[in-house]
Amino acid sequence: MALVQQIQLQGGSGARGSARRIAGSPALRLVGRRLLAAIPVLIGVTFLTFVVMSALPNNTAQAILGLNASPSAVAALNHTLGLDQPFWQRYWHWLVNVLHGNLGTTVNGSSVNSELATHLPVTLELLAYSLVVSLLLAIIVAVLAARRPNGVVDRLSLTVSMIGLSAAPYAFAFLLIVVFAVKLNWFPVISGSLGSTPLSFLKATTLPACAIGFPLFAVYTRLLRADLVEQMQREDYIVTAKAKGVPPWQVLIRHALRNSMFTLITVVGLNLGTLIGAVAIIETIFTVPGIGQDLLNGIQNHDVPLIEGIVLVFALMTVLGNLLADLMYAVLDPRIRYGSSNS
Amino acid sequence: MRSRLLSVRTACLGGAAAVVLAAAACSSSSSSSGTSSPTGSALPSAPVKTGGSITVLESSGYSGSWTTLDPAENKEGAATQDFMSAIYGQLFELGPGGQVVPDLATGYTFSPDAKTVTVTLRQGVTFTDGTPFNAQAVYWNWERDLGETAIKNGLNPPWLIAMQPAPKGSPPGTAEPPAPGAIQVTGPYTIVVHQIVPNGAFINQLFDSIANWIASPTAVQKEGTQFGQKPVGAGPFEVVNNIPNSELVVKRNPNYWDKGKPYLDGITFKSVGSDEAAYEALLANQGQVYENMSTTTLINQAQQHLQVENNLGTSPYDLQLNTAVPPFNNPKARQAIYAATDFAPILKSIFGNRYPITEGFTGPGGICYEQYVPGYQGYDPALAKKLIAETGLDKVTIQLGTINIQTAQNTMEALRTEWEQMGLHVSVSSWPLSGLIAAFEKNGGKSWEAMVQTAGAYDPAGGVGVGFRFNSKSPFSGVHDPKLDALLQEAQSFPPSQLSKRCQYYDQAAEYIAKNYYGPFYFTFSPANISVHGVYGPGISTPLPSVAVVPTIPWEDVYYNPA
Repeated sequence: MALVQQIQLQGGSGARGSARRIAGSPALRLVGRRLLAAIPVLIGVTFLTFVVMSALPNNTAQAILGLNASPSAVAALNHTLGLDQPFWQRYWHWLVNVLHGNLGTTVNGSSVNSELATHLPVTLELLAYSLVVSLLLAIIVAVLAARRPNGVVDRLSLTVSMIGLSAAPYAFAFLLIVVFAVKLNWFPVISGSLGSTPLSFLKATTLPACAIGFPLFAVYTRLLRADLVEQMQREDYIVTAKAKGVPPWQVLIRHALRNSMFTLITVVGLNLGTLIGAVAIIETIFTVPGIGQDLLNGIQNHDVPLIEGIVLVFALMTVLGNLLADLMYAVLDPRIRYGSSNS
Repeated sequence: MRSRLLSVRTACLGGAAAVVLAAAACSSSSSSSGTSSPTGSALPSAPVKTGGSITVLESSGYSGSWTTLDPAENKEGAATQDFMSAIYGQLFELGPGGQVVPDLATGYTFSPDAKTVTVTLRQGVTFTDGTPFNAQAVYWNWERDLGETAIKNGLNPPWLIAMQPAPKGSPPGTAEPPAPGAIQVTGPYTIVVHQIVPNGAFINQLFDSIANWIASPTAVQKEGTQFGQKPVGAGPFEVVNNIPNSELVVKRNPNYWDKGKPYLDGITFKSVGSDEAAYEALLANQGQVYENMSTTTLINQAQQHLQVENNLGTSPYDLQLNTAVPPFNNPKARQAIYAATDFAPILKSIFGNRYPITEGFTGPGGICYEQYVPGYQGYDPALAKKLIAETGLDKVTIQLGTINIQTAQNTMEALRTEWEQMGLHVSVSSWPLSGLIAAFEKNGGKSWEAMVQTAGAYDPAGGVGVGFRFNSKSPFSGVHDPKLDALLQEAQSFPPSQLSKRCQYYDQAAEYIAKNYYGPFYFTFSPANISVHGVYGPGISTPLPSVAVVPTIPWEDVYYNPA
């Protein structure tokens, strides 16, 4: 959407002219540059993962077939999975296959593409729910807290945020289960398949989304509140707005909040990659059939193709998240034009 | 023709079982006091009630993880034995009291030399797609279970059947199907298996393998590769919905051969992420049964609110000592470990004294159970210190390992504490299953020194049995003693009618292991089945022996009567 706005802001009426302008658009050039820069990053991440997985002691074929499998069956499966090939050859084959859109085959025999196609949407839905709720709540609470620093709301938000920052997500998850699933019976302990209706989706994902989102809410609230307070107390444009008689709430929301969003957007973009750990744990606790649970199973089974596929997805999400954050800067501040001399 | 002993156990059950072996070692909540049966006794029950449905929770790390329900493709066999038995039924079941109960079979006979086994089948049974169940169907399934697909997956049952050579130019591991005539259909409901050496454990190995589940040949041919997602059997239930690794919904088979059963209208099997989450789900009545709980603290908590059934264990913990390398190539060093180890405090503090101590490879749920072994070196700190000084065991660091499952790790840490009090130096490691296998195999099996594992099965010749840990040919054994190999082979060679003779040999083997200090045994572990009040049946409210570490619950006998 941001990209479309950028294009519209700078665009003209003629179709051919528009195409030329789009091709020469600073935003598009930024996207192109960042995507090109992402290639070595993604190769580096997957290569490191490959190195680490190869360094671990394992016998994947025997683990799949069981301890009683005959040596010939183990050898055959090793051959089928390509595990009898040298390290470089295995990585090269994997990379070439990825470039052809084939992420390989899991040790269970299913394709990594289909695993991701089935489970990635579940994780993305869960993450989106967590992020949207945590961001919305964080913005509301931070604005309320910044309105009167050291007031009741501010102190209360500080306490809640500190709890969110210090509580381990898995401990918080079990607390949610005990209160909202066992005692109140409002939500299921086991999310399972996320349901087909919006209501069943909300019922199945609210507790895991809260478990993932609460620490995020705490971080976002503290960051945004600190930035807002600083803007409100130190920035000249705020003083000017106040001097002009703009109501305090309007100053806070229309002027200060817009500027404070830069820090928040940066952190959200960076956070996407780090969520992999929380997602793996929380999905397992609530039995959400997403790629976080797949990742844990993959590590347990030493399922390198599956792990590589998931790591690739999360690396891509981090890159795209940061790119989106950069583009959002331009939306929030029209003075920013990527690629121009004053950007 | 090349003959070969297909001496491997079925990976289907045994392999998956090993995970739990290692792991072992691997309505509304009620406020009334729960009941438990630490020694595997029956819980109070209510009258049989027909109808109703229950949700059974399965750990996603074990039984709640499945990809296919096709027996010949099913690598998670032991883990998914609940689903398989609900859909396919079983030829033979391991019932209460360790009795082998014919289910879709009606009986068996062995030849006097225990080489030939004749199995008779139930008449008048049909699969849920209408295909008749008969000897041809069983033969078709067994050919498949012993054929290319199953062999490739390491699932072929451990029958001692003459094998054909692989075709010329085949890659390693190419299927070697049984020789023509090794399995014969001799009547519409009679099938005969010819083995090349005496094997009296055949039936016990059968219900411990994928060959115990018979699929509809028509449905397999019709569905092809999709059969594993839409399985058709002649069991008490038929599949309504199957989402692999997440949820399996089954409903009553209206044409089930045992009229009046199953009692339940339906069962939903649901995968759950952890013991803790399963426990909470039972408290919230979002599930009625959770199988294979191994977290001791939760088992203890569950007794306050839920039913806890400790089934009869068959696989004792043991400490494997690698006799191929120092320091345990020295019998006195091994004896020092026996004398330095006191299992009583470990059993009390980690496992709440829930399981009986044993000195051999048999458990109370299995055949030939011998709890105390003559000549077994018990805990003797004075002797331990003397032997440690004599052998210089205190001058080396003992490498002790196990699988990275909490109970096994706790046990390992407790052993380290005990041994360090005796002046020993111990380095501990734990790995996931694949890493554990690699540790066993590293440097041709000469890198590891001591491992906390489990050894044993309902029949010592089945599952991850005694040979798995003590036979020269097993890559997971630390013992290379032809005399012990011969004893174990001899014990297997008597038909079931001569069980006492089999047991005599196993007793001798246990004494031989004790006399040579090949590895101390601790106690027989079996994970608990937890349920809400009102669910009754074998393995849930009455004890069942473990088949492959855990019992196979006959779901047709389970009922729900919350009143």
